[in-house]
Amino acid sequence: MLAPEDVVEGEWADWYRLTPLERWHESQKLWLHYLAIGGSLDPEPDTESPFYDGGTPSPRPVDGRSGLRVLRRRGV
Amino acid sequence: MFYGAAEFSRDVDLAVLAEPENWRRLNEALAELQAECIAVPPCDLDYLRRGFALHFRCHHQEAGGIRIDILSTMRGVEDFPRLWKRRLSLTDPGGGIYNLLSLADLVKAKKTQRSKDWPMIQRLLEADYLIRRKNPKPHDAEFWLGELRTPDLLVECARRHPRQCDRLSARRPLLAHARRGDVAAVVSGLAEEEKLEREADRLYWQPLKAELEKLRHPK
Repeated sequence: MLAPEDVVEGEWADWYRLTPLERWHESQKLWLHYLAIGGSLDPEPDTESPFYDGGTPSPRPVDGRSGLRVLRRRGV
Repeated sequence: MFYGAAEFSRDVDLAVLAEPENWRRLNEALAELQAECIAVPPCDLDYLRRGFALHFRCHHQEAGGIRIDILSTMRGVEDFPRLWKRRLSLTDPGGGIYNLLSLADLVKAKKTQRSKDWPMIQRLLEADYLIRRKNPKPHDAEFWLGELRTPDLLVECARRHPRQCDRLSARRPLLAHARRGDVAAVVSGLAEEEKLEREADRLYWQPLKAELEKLRHPK
């Protein structure tokens, strides 16, 4: 029988080994962490969706900044 | 997340029964969330019944900024009462109940024209098959043979369940290649399946998209 690593890379294989309930709990932790570091709640624009409307208004993040920030502009 | 394919979409998709009493309760819940309808079509039961999705953004302090999309019908997916019968219910420690689409229905709902949905289907099936293949329930082999999208796993599954594979080959021709272990032919077959489904989804949405465009730009 094929092992998970035979079809997917490491992190996915680890994820597959969790039970559905463990995945649910892990995703809740990730979600809280994402919000704690100021992650944006705006979905990525999905231009392939039949519902896509480039004119849909977006909320401003609570800190007034973009959800994606430039941490370093030059190489090491 | 629950079924194994993690997609960080940052919104919530709700499938609901589009009937007047439920519509009233849905509107009460949306009012509690201080949800604002943010895109066409307007928040109207008729649009929901006709297959459109309604789009909201919540303004309640505890759900500020969260996007909710509400649908009632999805292409290729059975009607709501059947989805509800097959749902999977979870209860959290606080007593909250979450009713999820069954995996089989979620897979069908993901067969859209969008590129990003297809790797998701593959991952959903991989997680289910890899975890449960040792102790399959009566209809699992049929489900996996009908839906798996990972060539090597399809070949393995075909070897483990040869009778079901032969029986299902007429419905899914690439199973004949999987039975012979011809991975290259399985890959081609999967690409063809995806192409046909994406085209069917585009055709299904054509008139609905035209109507949305008219609503966005009335003149």
